[in-house]
Amino acid sequence: MTQHFPQNSPGLPFYVNLWNQLKRFPGGLAAGAEDPPAISGPAAAALISAAFSCLLAMINQHFCSIFKIWESLVWSLGDWIPGSKNPDQFYGEIGSYSGKETVMLIGWLVTWFILANLWRNRQIKFSTIFFCLFTFLVAATVMNWHPLFPYLPLMPK
Amino acid sequence: MTANLTQSEPSHLPRPLDIATVCVYGLSFLSAGLFLFLPLVNLLSPSPWQRYMGAIHGFAALLAVVVIAYAGHMAFPLLRGVSKILPQMRTLTFWSSCMSFLAIASGNWVYMRYRAPNGGARAWLRENTPLVHYLFMEYHEFTVLFTLPLGVACTWVLWKYGDSILEKQNRPILTCTCMALMAMMFFAIGGLVSGLNVARMHTL
Repeated sequence: MTQHFPQNSPGLPFYVNLWNQLKRFPGGLAAGAEDPPAISGPAAAALISAAFSCLLAMINQHFCSIFKIWESLVWSLGDWIPGSKNPDQFYGEIGSYSGKETVMLIGWLVTWFILANLWRNRQIKFSTIFFCLFTFLVAATVMNWHPLFPYLPLMPK
Repeated sequence: MTANLTQSEPSHLPRPLDIATVCVYGLSFLSAGLFLFLPLVNLLSPSPWQRYMGAIHGFAALLAVVVIAYAGHMAFPLLRGVSKILPQMRTLTFWSSCMSFLAIASGNWVYMRYRAPNGGARAWLRENTPLVHYLFMEYHEFTVLFTLPLGVACTWVLWKYGDSILEKQNRPILTCTCMALMAMMFFAIGGLVSGLNVARMHTL
């Protein structure tokens, strides 16, 4: 594997040398893996699962807004996050948001695991990866302002 | 004797080119430093919650945005296939993901006070200017989370595929990775803007 690391030079200012060192830290990561895959399946699994987790977070947010029972269930999933529940009236608590984060985290890792196994030896087309990335991310962004949200009254008093 | 008169002595004074180079570096450091001072205004807030919670989350978020925006901008040469930046891109996306996690973790902590029944900002915003909560805070809460999986995915792909990501058959992977890097930058900057907008309406 070709290395492109900038070398330190005594002729360069110290901050340039420091920056060059920072750019290749940690070294194992900067060098890249020894055995790159010859197909696009593993990369597609990583990228699509990340985008899917964003969409999943927003779908779950809508379900939580509509069904309070679902929100309670989701909140219980987020108990492991410090501050999820806190009786202190001044400090407050994270609330069901901790469960929403947990759903996103679990959804992301499970999807990545499943897709990585399914596509381990498969070549995934560019159009498939692009379509999933684009659609999932745009849909997740738009769903932040879905009409189901309790918008009224909107204007300042 | 004649030769000594015609040859000039080598000057020890810095040349204009050297001074200009120092100015370029100096101004860049000053500009970056000034920008990083932005969260310091939290230390002057009359609210004790804003003075430490707001300052810590502000610093974490601003540093995350700076690193992520740098990684996002490096996606342009990466997309053109500039191979010498590959090692830096792998570490940069890794640190972007780490900074994203720290910003999210500190955001969780700050969010507690935002929702506090006694003096929390959320109740006040929903009562007095609900658009700030429903448009900015809802967007802020969720889209900043998107930066973490995107950053980890980009880091993994850039590491796993090594220098072979620049080969012709891997062009689709490179393009989609650059797109994910750009999306990460979009959500990070959007998160900073929406967070600042909420904070200027009501402190913690």
